[in-house]
Amino acid sequence: MTSTSSQALKLQGTGRAGSLGKGVLIVLAAGLILFVGLGLQSTFWLNLAAYTCGFALFALSVNIMLGGVGEVPLGQSMFFGIGAYAPAVMINNFGLPFEFGVLVGMVIAAAAATLIGGVTLRLTGAYFAIVSWGMSGVAMVTVHNIEFTGGALGLFGFSRLAVGPFDLSHPRTYFFVTSIILLLVLILLAHIRSSRFGHALESIRQSRHLAQSLGVNVFRERLKAFVLSAPIAALAGSLCLPFTQIVTPESMSVLRSVDALLAVLIGGTGLLYGPVIGSIIFTVVPQFLNFDANVKVLVFSLLIILIMMVAPGGLHQLIKAAGAALRCMSESRR
Amino acid sequence: MSALPNIVTATAVEKHYGGVAALKRVDIRIPEGSVYGLIGPNGAGKSTMFDILCGITKPTAGTVKVLGMDVAALPAHTVASKGVGRTFQRTAMFSESTVEENLLFASFSATRHNLFHRILRSRVWRADMDAFREKSADVLAICGLSEHRHQLASALPYGTQRRLAVALTLMTDPKIIFLDEPVAGMNETETADFIALMRRISVGRTIVIVEHDMAAIGALCDEVTVMVDGRAIVTDTPHNALKHPEVVRAYLGAEDE
Repeated sequence: MTSTSSQALKLQGTGRAGSLGKGVLIVLAAGLILFVGLGLQSTFWLNLAAYTCGFALFALSVNIMLGGVGEVPLGQSMFFGIGAYAPAVMINNFGLPFEFGVLVGMVIAAAAATLIGGVTLRLTGAYFAIVSWGMSGVAMVTVHNIEFTGGALGLFGFSRLAVGPFDLSHPRTYFFVTSIILLLVLILLAHIRSSRFGHALESIRQSRHLAQSLGVNVFRERLKAFVLSAPIAALAGSLCLPFTQIVTPESMSVLRSVDALLAVLIGGTGLLYGPVIGSIIFTVVPQFLNFDANVKVLVFSLLIILIMMVAPGGLHQLIKAAGAALRCMSESRR
Repeated sequence: MSALPNIVTATAVEKHYGGVAALKRVDIRIPEGSVYGLIGPNGAGKSTMFDILCGITKPTAGTVKVLGMDVAALPAHTVASKGVGRTFQRTAMFSESTVEENLLFASFSATRHNLFHRILRSRVWRADMDAFREKSADVLAICGLSEHRHQLASALPYGTQRRLAVALTLMTDPKIIFLDEPVAGMNETETADFIALMRRISVGRTIVIVEHDMAAIGALCDEVTVMVDGRAIVTDTPHNALKHPEVVRAYLGAEDE
């Protein structure tokens, strides 16, 4: 497991320099959103970019648990599935708007996380991972056997997927809405990292016994992290709906959690936007390589092994090392 | 010393692991403001007693009051947040973070802001940050860590890491600090530095030490309890306690008849 480490914490600067750095990052991110949103003309690529933002949200929710408290949340896909099913059920069964379904999904996910976390978060390591995997399995079987969730075929044929006046069936609008939501969630997570709650999580991840001896209620803070991660996963599930146009029990499959874990590990758990980098690689690269789904798992698993060997902190570590090497070279020339 | 009120009162404490009695009706009284040692040969039960006093291990029988709290009935984090600090035998720190970040994590109990305060940079958050800067500067100076504040904790020399462990505890404003073998593994210079640090932080605080290094115990402690085979056999000044016939026998073995 990689570390949040001092480098990540430096991003949380509490002084004026830290605020300026964050401001520059936000402006750069906004510029990138505008560049991609206005520059891409292909409907396919705009939709894919929007889906990537949704998937990145899911990867961020996984990283709250993985990079935040050091647990492997194999069952996180359950919350993703709740987020995908809630608007689908609201639209198809009750004729309610998409936004309402998104909110319902987030609330149900948070409530489910509170109940499940209350029971499972006393477990750690492999025990938590296996129990959480089991929970997602139960959820998957449940939606498979319930009529109003469409059974094995799932739900599809949604009348209107829109957020207020923004119609998500338009690829450019879909991209702008998802990317702005992603940016807002990133800003929220950056603030969490530099808050008392974020410090508690990082101390728990590094040494829960020491954190406890310093007055941190380890169980409560871990539960808060879990409850925070669930609605973000649900939001991701909802925002992937305009791309997939269908929701099936497989949306709750553990393989979805594994995909997000791979993306997080590729980008790096220690960096706030590491999961976003990983998600871009995970969704965009296969488009150029024309992978079969099974081959994709094989290739990315090999990639993970390679990254763990050369850059255990994620790919951003390579960029950092390259930067440091360049600085060394320029200094030696002087 | 006996005129001072007791900050720790342990009465008839027993601890059983299966059929093995690790502690047999141990009574301990620790006067407020003292530096108190818990010593004894290996397997005497002093570490078990230490963990029970800190609230980490629950006793099988008996009562333990620290700062008036029944520590056996409270969760460890509550005991810690109410003024009971401890360090661990194996150096405990947040090794992936810098010294300053370590102190930031340790200031959890002393801070009050929530996420909304942080996002809005409210007065509560600013007050927390100001208090942290002031407090951490003091603690760094007391522990001789000011020059290391931006260094990774894992990169510090061993003796400095042990001082960092104490600094983390000091950030919680403890009224009593439990130190588990604080000078174990230190060289002479590091031990001398650590003893000087203990003297600085013991002003206005109670310190309880479990230690094998008798020179350090002699230099620091006002009073010691010697434990042998799960029992507290004598409580006295270090000088007197180590002369006690039962203590001599426990450490050196019985003389041949």
